[in-house]
Amino acid sequence: MSLNRDEATKRAKADAGNRTGVSEDAIKLISAEDTEFPDAALGAAVSGEMSGMMLTSGWRIILDAGGKTLEYRANPDQIRLYKFKGKNYRI
Amino acid sequence: MNRNNLLAHLALATAIILAAAFIGQVRRWRNEWKPVRVVREVGELELNPVAAKGAEVLVRFKPGTTLDYIKSIVATHHDRFEDEIEAVDGLTAVEDEDGLDADTVVNEYLKVPGVEYAEPNMQITLDDPRSSNSFTYGSGSGGSMVSYPMNLPDDPMFGSQWSLQNTGQNGGKDGADISAVNAWDTTRGSESIVVAVLDSGVDYTHQDLVENMWHRPAEVAEYSDRELGTIDDINGFNAVDNLRDPMDDNGHGTHCAGIIGAEGGNGFGISGVNWHVKIMPLKFMNAFGQGTTKDAIEAINYVIDRKKDGVNVRVISASWGSTSKSKALGDAIKRAGEEGILFVAAAGNSSENSDRRPHYPAGYDLPNVISVAATDRNDQLATFSNYGAKTVHIAAPGRDILSTWLNGTFREASGTSMATPEVSGVAALVLALEPDMTVAKLRERLLTSVDKLPALEGKVSSGGRINASKAVGEN
Repeated sequence: MSLNRDEATKRAKADAGNRTGVSEDAIKLISAEDTEFPDAALGAAVSGEMSGMMLTSGWRIILDAGGKTLEYRANPDQIRLYKFKGKNYRI
Repeated sequence: MNRNNLLAHLALATAIILAAAFIGQVRRWRNEWKPVRVVREVGELELNPVAAKGAEVLVRFKPGTTLDYIKSIVATHHDRFEDEIEAVDGLTAVEDEDGLDADTVVNEYLKVPGVEYAEPNMQITLDDPRSSNSFTYGSGSGGSMVSYPMNLPDDPMFGSQWSLQNTGQNGGKDGADISAVNAWDTTRGSESIVVAVLDSGVDYTHQDLVENMWHRPAEVAEYSDRELGTIDDINGFNAVDNLRDPMDDNGHGTHCAGIIGAEGGNGFGISGVNWHVKIMPLKFMNAFGQGTTKDAIEAINYVIDRKKDGVNVRVISASWGSTSKSKALGDAIKRAGEEGILFVAAAGNSSENSDRRPHYPAGYDLPNVISVAATDRNDQLATFSNYGAKTVHIAAPGRDILSTWLNGTFREASGTSMATPEVSGVAALVLALEPDMTVAKLRERLLTSVDKLPALEGKVSSGGRINASKAVGEN
């Protein structure tokens, strides 16, 4: 897998649609910004996961799905959903 | 034991085995009735290469439990006996073959008499080199031709290594470094000291590392493990697939290795804290930067075995972690301490107080563990660094650290990942002078020879940033 920001956003929208039941077309992109995450798990480790303690650059993708805000974190190799209903997910 | 006692013991053992067999059968029935999961999230399979395997759990039986008994319990659960972790009495890795999730398997083993604990084998993830925030230097052979004072290495990129000598370059603070140059008056390291880098492997062919890589000595036999078989560990250990090659395909481990021991004074690239040392690669992360606690434990087990075989490995450098605690990993680290091995670990990058929210493995309260926070080029606690007056012990430079990378290159990176090998490197310098120093004394030396800094007061237990010069007895 080698994602760019657009592809990561597309996959994030698809995931958001599946999770919320909102049509993918109705999901709005609020922002997709370059940022630096605290570790290799993009600061969104799933339960039991450990990660390298090196700052890692990527994209913070904020979506609106029917009034619900979802934060995705991505880099060329992974996409994660941050604190959705209190939990992180690796997509 | 009289006849009555013998009969009573036999009856108890039979009852335990029958109970375990019954539990295993119940699990099989339950599994047969479970609906098949057909929905998969986007990309899940690609991102989780271990998903195809059955759930893995680490089970510790009471010390002294026979291997035959353990195997019989595993068999009655219809699981696969993966590996015995010899260094920790009773610790076993098991793979489920019934399609159950790890928590279910753990709960089943917790019901078995004689099991001290059971826990899921946790995933560990590292960065992929392509996603790094840092930039890449060229091959490292270039650089402007300058003359170097006698105490300084002639490595052309040394001027960018503010952690070793901070002259105020790039807005830094003069002297906000680990005083490596003064330390090198006393020692520049020793090839008799082995530092294990527990990470994504090491590019042992990198021109600036190749002379300082550990290779299994001819007098030490190939690594042999009952379950893993015989492995030609000529270049180190690879727990990911149990192949002999611990070559780094991620970059993170190579970066950490260069901080500890990129060859100094060779007119090429950078200098490590040690000009001369032996780096033992322990690969437990795959190319995607993912690994498991089981593989980390197997690598530690390997180090302990090699120590017993006469390899002078005294330090394990661990630049990774999480807030999840594994008892099995803690037990393995404790055993390493009992073999005279210091375990240096990253405090974490969440800007959090680890006293309140512990980070592991740095957070294990063990006499051989040092937890390392990160400072910047102005001797301030790095904004990303975790801290903790009780549970984080020392700080070291960890922002914009230049070191070796894949394909013969060099790059800067930031994190407590980078601070950790600075401390591991200084530990190796001290051992070069005093090779028989105990772990307790070594840890005490490192923590009491710091430069106390206002920014670290109340943030780390020592109140300071590591100072190599003081640690080796220079002032």
